[in-house]
Amino acid sequence: MYAIFKREFLSYFRSPVGYVSIAIFSFLAGFIFFTQFSNGSVDIGSEVISLRSFFVIIIPIITMGLLAEDKKRGTDILYYTTPISLFSVVLGKVLAAFALFAVMFINVIIHIIVTVASGGTFGVGAVGTVIVFFFMAFMFISMGLFASAITDNQIISAIVAFIIILLTQVLSVIADYLGTALTSVAKMIGIKASPASAIGNAVRNGIAWLDPFAKTQDFRLGIFSVSSLVFLVSVGILFVYLTYRVLEKKRWSQA
Amino acid sequence: MIEINNLVKRYGDKKAVNGISFTVNDDEVLGFLGPNGAGKSTTMNIITGYLSSTSGSVKVNGHDILEEPELAKKEIGYLPENPPLYTDMTVDEYLDFICDIKGVAKAKRRSQLEKIVSLVKISDVTDRLIGNLSKGYKQRVGIAQAMVGNPSILILDEPTVGLDPSQIIEIRRLIKSLAKSHSIIISSHILSEIQEVADRVVIINHGKIAAIDTLNDLSKRLSGQTKLLMTFRGPIKECSAKIRTIPGISSAVPKLADSKVSQLEISISGDKTTDIRTAVFFMMAQEGWPILEMRSLDPTLEEVFLNITEGKGRA
Repeated sequence: MYAIFKREFLSYFRSPVGYVSIAIFSFLAGFIFFTQFSNGSVDIGSEVISLRSFFVIIIPIITMGLLAEDKKRGTDILYYTTPISLFSVVLGKVLAAFALFAVMFINVIIHIIVTVASGGTFGVGAVGTVIVFFFMAFMFISMGLFASAITDNQIISAIVAFIIILLTQVLSVIADYLGTALTSVAKMIGIKASPASAIGNAVRNGIAWLDPFAKTQDFRLGIFSVSSLVFLVSVGILFVYLTYRVLEKKRWSQA
Repeated sequence: MIEINNLVKRYGDKKAVNGISFTVNDDEVLGFLGPNGAGKSTTMNIITGYLSSTSGSVKVNGHDILEEPELAKKEIGYLPENPPLYTDMTVDEYLDFICDIKGVAKAKRRSQLEKIVSLVKISDVTDRLIGNLSKGYKQRVGIAQAMVGNPSILILDEPTVGLDPSQIIEIRRLIKSLAKSHSIIISSHILSEIQEVADRVVIINHGKIAAIDTLNDLSKRLSGQTKLLMTFRGPIKECSAKIRTIPGISSAVPKLADSKVSQLEISISGDKTTDIRTAVFFMMAQEGWPILEMRSLDPTLEEVFLNITEGKGRA
């Protein structure tokens, strides 16, 4: 696993991908921090939350090549024909992408140091937001990895990852629409008003429960919500596992 | 040693490999021949564990590739049709990575890599990016990759494709030297290559084994008897009558006759242990008919191959 991790992490810096993604992240983080700093009120929590909405661009860039490139080059044959296990390959890849993310994150650490050094605050809410930011990155990276496993084309992989992450960002909006729509449909087919809105609400809440961004609100308020972390990690692990299954399935393919 | 038993690989309702069985003995070079799309690469991919078979089994030194994949894969070095090279790494970095994933111990790594690098002659490019190497060097790095971890079996899928003639000869020499301590399966379109390096040949066609034998037996079985083509100067009719009297010769058919040279196709029957050519020579010398050329008309591998794959004759 370490061999795959090392190769994959270093390969980010053998191509423009590593530099470009770090540059984009640094620019965005720096810009947000600068704006806050020049206004005289810095909130690392809100900086991180703003950065989070750029995951939709940054994560596909760092995950698109993870497995798609291997398939295109024909190097994936090494994973199947050497004694290394496929699962450790998948794990090495996801950790490599996560490590690149950690390198980007140095920006935020610098901002924290600058803030604290200049007499600003880095409160409990901000700490919690930063922690959950990390877990969320892991989840999105494993989604991106999955997108990379299902194709041998980096562009398609990036687009699929982009769409998946975009969907999670608009999940609350989708939940609202669906909830309202279901309520009116239920009323139309003759269900009374209160059960009808109950159906709508159930669906709305059900979908909204999946919204990863809603999971972070507790942290913003300084509440350490273990269940939210468990949720993010579980979804991440689920996608890592799905990726493994996709690779494993390839050998057994009969079509 | 590899035992392949009744291998089937189905794609939809098409069978890419349909019931292939053969055995590769220790320290043997097995040539793997077949027209494009016959199932060569599929078979090799199954043996190495890249694909799984629909049914049938592959045992590598007694380890089943599906039941004990890690042990089986340790015994195999594989060079696929497209060498699995990371173009963004240098040769050194790449081979080090291969050592990592094949689990070569750090202590042994250095000496092993040095040996491989000098054997495949890539020591002058070890610090260059693989992407910048010529096709010949890439192929050699691919072979080096297969040799990492000291596998006892090497599986080479068209190792000389895209190389220039001198590189082909070098790679062939390399394969011959490796054959002393490895079992090798080699597939190729270049039949002369197989002829030169392989001890036995498996010819597959439409996913089935069409023939499996040593090269000599294969050509003999196909022709039924050995033939000689003799070019000489002299009267053809008398000569052909005279030659037929030599014991062991069943027929002598005139092929060509003009004022300068004549040609006879001589069929030899009976036991093949005595060399009929000396008898022919002394007879011709006695008569004063100089022999200009005498060569064996054993079918070449090309002929055998075409014969078998086009279904003219089944060996």
